[in-house]
Amino acid sequence: MTAPAVTRPPTLIPDEAACADTLARLKAAREPRVVVVGNPNVGKTTLINALAGTNLKVGNWSGVTVEKREAHLNHAGRRVHLLDLPGAYSLSPHTPEELITRTALLDEAPDAVLNVLDAGNLERNLYLTLQLMDYRLPVAVALNLVDEAREKGVQVDSRALSRLLGVPVVETVASRARGTDTVLDSALGHATLGIGVRYPEAIERAVEALSTRMVGVDTLPPHAHRYLALTLLEGDPSVRGRLNATGHAALVQAANAQLLELDTQGLDPLIEIAEARYALAGDIARAAAPQAQARRTVTERLDALALHPWLGIPLFLALVLLVFRLTFTVAAPFVDLIGGPLQDTLTGWASAALSWFPLARDLVTGAIIPGVGTVLSFLPTLLVLYLAMSFLEDSGYMARAAFLMDRAMRSVGLDGRAFIPLILGFGCNVPAVYATRTLERRSDRLLVSMILPFMSCSARLPVYVVFAAALFPRQASLLVWAMYTLGMLVALAFAFVLRRTSYPAEGSGVLLELPPYRFPTAQVLWKHAWRRTASFARRARTTVLATVAGVWLLLAIPAVSGASFATVAPQDSLFGRVSQAMSPIFAPLGFGTWQATGALVPGFIAKEVVVGTLGQIYLGEQAARPAALGLVDGVVQAGRATWDAVVASVSAIPTILALPSLNADATGDLNTPLATALARAFTPASGLSYLVFVLLYTPCIATVGALAQEHGRRFAWTTVAYQLATAWVAAFLVYLIARAVL
Amino acid sequence: MPDVPLDSLAPGQTAHVVALDPAHPLRRRLMELGFVRGAPVTVVRRAPLGDPVELRIGATLLALRADDLRLIRVRA
Repeated sequence: MTAPAVTRPPTLIPDEAACADTLARLKAAREPRVVVVGNPNVGKTTLINALAGTNLKVGNWSGVTVEKREAHLNHAGRRVHLLDLPGAYSLSPHTPEELITRTALLDEAPDAVLNVLDAGNLERNLYLTLQLMDYRLPVAVALNLVDEAREKGVQVDSRALSRLLGVPVVETVASRARGTDTVLDSALGHATLGIGVRYPEAIERAVEALSTRMVGVDTLPPHAHRYLALTLLEGDPSVRGRLNATGHAALVQAANAQLLELDTQGLDPLIEIAEARYALAGDIARAAAPQAQARRTVTERLDALALHPWLGIPLFLALVLLVFRLTFTVAAPFVDLIGGPLQDTLTGWASAALSWFPLARDLVTGAIIPGVGTVLSFLPTLLVLYLAMSFLEDSGYMARAAFLMDRAMRSVGLDGRAFIPLILGFGCNVPAVYATRTLERRSDRLLVSMILPFMSCSARLPVYVVFAAALFPRQASLLVWAMYTLGMLVALAFAFVLRRTSYPAEGSGVLLELPPYRFPTAQVLWKHAWRRTASFARRARTTVLATVAGVWLLLAIPAVSGASFATVAPQDSLFGRVSQAMSPIFAPLGFGTWQATGALVPGFIAKEVVVGTLGQIYLGEQAARPAALGLVDGVVQAGRATWDAVVASVSAIPTILALPSLNADATGDLNTPLATALARAFTPASGLSYLVFVLLYTPCIATVGALAQEHGRRFAWTTVAYQLATAWVAAFLVYLIARAVL
Repeated sequence: MPDVPLDSLAPGQTAHVVALDPAHPLRRRLMELGFVRGAPVTVVRRAPLGDPVELRIGATLLALRADDLRLIRVRA
C-alpha cells in the first residue's frame, strides 16, 4: 500500500501583535459575549443547557427558521452573554445554519469563542478549530464526550492538546454536567489566540498581500484580516458577495488577481489550505491521543442491524408504526379527556355563570370553549409525537432512516431526509411542517411542505371510518388503506411535477453524516418537545379561535325573516344559505347538497370536525347543551375523568406491540344513526368522491398556520388553493370512474 | 498503481484519496470533512436499495450517492 506523500508538515506562526487588542477587550468587557461553536452532533446543545440552566432563552435567528439559543447569566461575579451558534463543519457555509454561524462570528462582535470538540473525532473537529484560529479571537476548548471516546478506545491527553493548540482545554461530559463548571472560567479567564496554521509559502504571500490592503479599514478589524484573506483565496462565494456588497469590491478584485497568479503556479488554494489544516490537525490529534486504537463500537454493532441489507427497511417501517401506536394509544385518553369531560365541565360552569345573558352564554359555550378545546385536544398527541421524534433525531437514528430511504425518494427528485417529514405527516401535518427544517436546501423545504398536507393525517381517519361503515361495511379496512395510499401517491406525483416546474433542485450532491448513536438526555428531549408543543398552542390559539367564532356567528345569523339570532335552524342560517350557494360547485362530484358542502367548511378548522358537523346537519342534532354545573360537582367530575384518562393511557402501553389493524376504530360505529343517514344521502360513488375530496382538499388551519410561520402567508395560501383544485379534479375523476364501475 | 473512482471499491475495502474532480458538487465540503490527498477512506456498506454508499473517513461515517463517488479518485 503506497499512500501518496503528504506535503511537508506546516509549522506554527506566532501571535501577531495586531490582534492583541482582542485579548484586552475580553478582559475589559463589562458583559463579555462568548459564542459557542462546534461541529454538528458534538453535544453542544446539551452543554449549553448545562451551562445556562434556566437562563436559557430559545428563539429564532431573524428571518430564518433556525433556533437561536442564548443566555445572560452571572458567573463568578461577572455578567456573561452566552450565545450558541448552529453546528458547523467549517466557517465556509454550506447550509443555512452554517451561514448563521459564520455571519454571527463576523457581526455579533464576540469577545471569546468557546469551541466544543468531540474527543472521539479529534482530527475532523480540529479542522474547524484551526480555521477559527485564523480568525484571531480568544479561543477556549471544551473537549466533550470524553466518556464516549474512551469507550471507543480513544484516550485524549487534554494537557498535551492544550499545549499543542496554545489555548486552554477543559474535559467535559455535558450529558452528566461533568467539567461544565470550569468551562466558563476557562473561556473568560484564559481564552487566548492559540497557534495558527502556516500555509505553503505562495499562499502566505497572497494572504500577506491581501491583509496589507485591509489595514486601516474600519469595517475590517485587524483580527479578521487573516481569516478574510484565506476565505477569499478559498473562493468562498458568500464572503465574496458580502464584501462586494459592503464596498470592498476592490479587495475581491485583488483576490482574483492573486488567484490567477497562484493558478499559473499550478496551485489551487482550496486544496492547499485544506491539506495544510488537515496535516496539522492530524499531527495534533495523533500527538494528543497517541494510543488510539479502533475498537468495534456500539454504533457499528447497532448499524449492522439497523442498516442490514434485508432487515434494515422492515425494521424502519416497524419503528415508524410503533411511534404512531405509541402516540395514539398513550395520547388518546387525554385527547378524549380534553375534548369530552373537561370541556363539558367548563361548559357547565359557563352556562351557570352566564345564565342571565343567553347570547354571551351561547357564544362562550358554542364557540369559545369548543374552539379552545379543539386546539388543546391536539396537544397530548403532539407532545408524545414530538418526544418520540426528538428521541429518534437526537439518538442518531433519523440519519439512518434517510440513508435507507434515499434511493426510493430519489425517483421523485428528493433525497432520503425528505422521507421523515412525510412519514410524520401521517400522524399530524403540523409537526411534519416543522420537521422540514431538517432539510438542507430551501427548495427542498418548500417542496416537501407543499406536498405534505396530502399525507393523510390521523384526524382524517374518523371521516373514512364513518363513511366506510355507511357505504362499504365489508371493505372498511381496504377503503381506509386505499385513502392513505392515494394521499401518498398524489404527494409523490406532485413532488415529481413540482420538482420539474416550480422548485428545481439547487445544486446536486447529497451528503448524509451518520453520527454515532447516543442516548439523549431526558432534559434535552423534554425541552425540545415542550417548546415545539407550546409554540403550536400559542399560534393556534388565535387562528383557530377566530375561525370557530366565525363559523358560530354564521350559524347564528338567520337568513330568513321570522327566525331570531342564535336559535335559527342550520339550513336557514347564513351558514346554510352560503353552503347552499356553494353547493353547485360540488354537483359534478356527486355531492352537491348544502349538507355535504356545509360539513366541509368547518373541516378547514380541524378535519375531525367534519364528522361532528355531518352529525349536526344530517341528524338535526342540536349541539347538546350540558346542564349548568356547580363548582364542586365540576371539580369532582373533572378529577374523576382525569384519573380515568391516566389509567387508560398507562394500561394501553402494552397494547402498542399488538398487531395493528386499521379498522379497529370502525367496529364501534358500524350501526350508528349517522351511518344510516349517510347511507341514505350518498351513493357509493358519491361517498367515495366525498372521501377523496376530504383527503385532499386543504390543510387544516393549524397546518396553514405552521406553513405561514415557516414559509410566509403567500406560500400557505398558495398551498391551500392548489390543494383545493387538486381535490376537486381528483374527486371528479373518482366519481366518474366509480359511477361507471360500482 | 493506477487511480480508480471510489465507486469501484467493494464494501470493506480501503483506499487513499488522490483527488476530487473539480466538478464535484460537494468538493469543498468533502475536503473539510477530510477528503484530502492521502487520506484513507473505507467503503462500509451499500444501502439496502443499492444506493447511497456509507463511507468511513477518519472517525466520521457518512453516506454519498454512487454518482458522487465516481468523481472521487482513489488509489489502493
